[in-house]
Amino acid sequence: MDSLQVTNSAGDSASAGVARPKKRASLSRDYFAELRGSKKGMTGALILAFMVLVAITAPVIAPHDASSQSVYAQYAPPLFAGGTMDHILGADNLGRDILSRTIYGTQISLSIAFIVIFIAVSVGAVLGAIAGYVGGIVDTVIMRIADFQLSFPFILLALVFMAILGPGYWSLVIALTVAIWANYARLVRGEALKIRELEFVQAAKAIGVSRARIIWGHILPNALPALIVLGTLDIAWVIITEAALSFLGLGIQPPTPSWGVMLNDARGYLYESAWMTIFPGIALFMTCIGVNLLGDWLRDTFDPKMAKL
Amino acid sequence: MGGFVFRRVLYSLIVVLCVLFIVSLLVRIIPGDPVDVMMAGNPGMTEQDKEQIRQQLGLKDPVLVQFEKYIVGVVHGDLGSSLRFRTPNLGLISTRLPATLELTLFSMLIAVIIAVPLGIITALKQDSAVDYGGSVFALIGISTPNFLLGIILILVFAVEFKVFPASGQADPLYVAIGKAVTGQGLGSLGDSLRHLVLPSVALGMAVAAANVRMIRSSMLDVIRTDYIRFAKAKGLPGRVVFAKHAFRNALIPTVTVLGLQLGQLLGGTFVIETVFAWPGIGRLAVQAIFWRDYPLIQAVVLVTAIMFVTINLLVDIIYHWIDPRIRYD
Repeated sequence: MDSLQVTNSAGDSASAGVARPKKRASLSRDYFAELRGSKKGMTGALILAFMVLVAITAPVIAPHDASSQSVYAQYAPPLFAGGTMDHILGADNLGRDILSRTIYGTQISLSIAFIVIFIAVSVGAVLGAIAGYVGGIVDTVIMRIADFQLSFPFILLALVFMAILGPGYWSLVIALTVAIWANYARLVRGEALKIRELEFVQAAKAIGVSRARIIWGHILPNALPALIVLGTLDIAWVIITEAALSFLGLGIQPPTPSWGVMLNDARGYLYESAWMTIFPGIALFMTCIGVNLLGDWLRDTFDPKMAKL
Repeated sequence: MGGFVFRRVLYSLIVVLCVLFIVSLLVRIIPGDPVDVMMAGNPGMTEQDKEQIRQQLGLKDPVLVQFEKYIVGVVHGDLGSSLRFRTPNLGLISTRLPATLELTLFSMLIAVIIAVPLGIITALKQDSAVDYGGSVFALIGISTPNFLLGIILILVFAVEFKVFPASGQADPLYVAIGKAVTGQGLGSLGDSLRHLVLPSVALGMAVAAANVRMIRSSMLDVIRTDYIRFAKAKGLPGRVVFAKHAFRNALIPTVTVLGLQLGQLLGGTFVIETVFAWPGIGRLAVQAIFWRDYPLIQAVVLVTAIMFVTINLLVDIIYHWIDPRIRYD
């Protein structure tokens, strides 16, 4: 039995070594060509790429330190409203440069979004695959927890977690991850239930391939397209919820320049200094537009079943 | 049907119990003791006094004992007392609940009023400028965080044009309607509605946008079916085909998600009520978190969970009633 498994896995990796990369490369080229052909997808991808670039190069491109205050720059208007080149997008009530804060805010938003989605998709997918493939009591326990969570407003769940963990970056990551992992668990479980009865999985089982290998090698790859689509669309949710919680004062704490924090700071100055609201608002809005455009395109391309929604 | 409803109700009760248990458990592990928070303004308190208060409040009991006491209280309509207000939570919540419900339902109304015509028109005029505009609207609606939209609405309609008030609630809607009905003038009703417009639009827009997409695509599906083609082929006027056949069937998917969306809106009130200083339970919850008023947090979470679970329960039962093929096993 053992030797059979060894030859099998050897054969597997050999075939993977020869055939797979070629196929993958052509596949990704196909998708890239398709992406370039789609105005919607391309716009989304470009916006998102721009935001990622801004986040990575923030220390270089930001003209000022994000939290350095200046008495002279207090309430400085943006350039187009009679301001100076020193603060192109104006400054806030403490004289902090809005452009620099918005740029650094991109780091916070995107890093939280990617970390949360990565952990939630990984945890959710693995638990969902185990639940679906192993079945029985494991399935019941995992899915009851997921059901329980889904019968509860996400934001309330996140709120309760923030109340307990106290505000901060990593509490936010935990709270948001806890709030959405169940979506992916459900999705992968459904996929696992479908796939586990198919012949190639039965065949793999018959020759003694381990459960872990079947889950890793067969079930998860099959669920991947749907996971990518859902995960991408959820990036927008994470970004919005992070901003909302930070806005409420329960997420990222000042003076860290999260967009939500900036919008909260700006609330008291809506009348006099609307630019404090406008620029972080635009950044937040554009990021979500980019994510949604890309997500919509991915859904149309990868997962025609979901395209209608 | 009876068995299904019974099982479903039982399941909902279990969910509520789990929520209760988890929240009361989590609240215990929070760093920072409620008594310290309560007594923050009293420097004269000795450690001994605090200890005595902890005894009185039952904070010294084992978790399970506290939980049991809490459950017994809840069953008797006692949701504990707020540390900050020193009054029963039930009273605090019930005075603010109508404001939240009013806001949620009105947002749903706005979402439907916007989405139904727009969804239908974009489908009927597929690939036209109207359709394109509708898609852009939907994309923008989905991508705008509700609190950001709220701020923008305040900026435009309250600060710039001064057509709607920026925050707060006038008379509760049911009071205003009462006044209008009993002939005390429409002024109060108008004022209530004016206060309601901005927060409801801010809260309902995302749902409206999602519904536009859904109605459009289900309308397109329906238009392409054989029975519509047949209805047209036999010479029915377009208006009749639309009203009798297409429209009603196209709305089914939307109607089935309205319940879920109601839950989504309920969640959104936590943020929107804070933006608009709306005196509902969402704002109360956020304030309670700041005040570390754990009994109040617990009570608000419990009430919200009950509402959410009840909505889901009703939706499931209605589905089951509409379409008996749907089974939950």
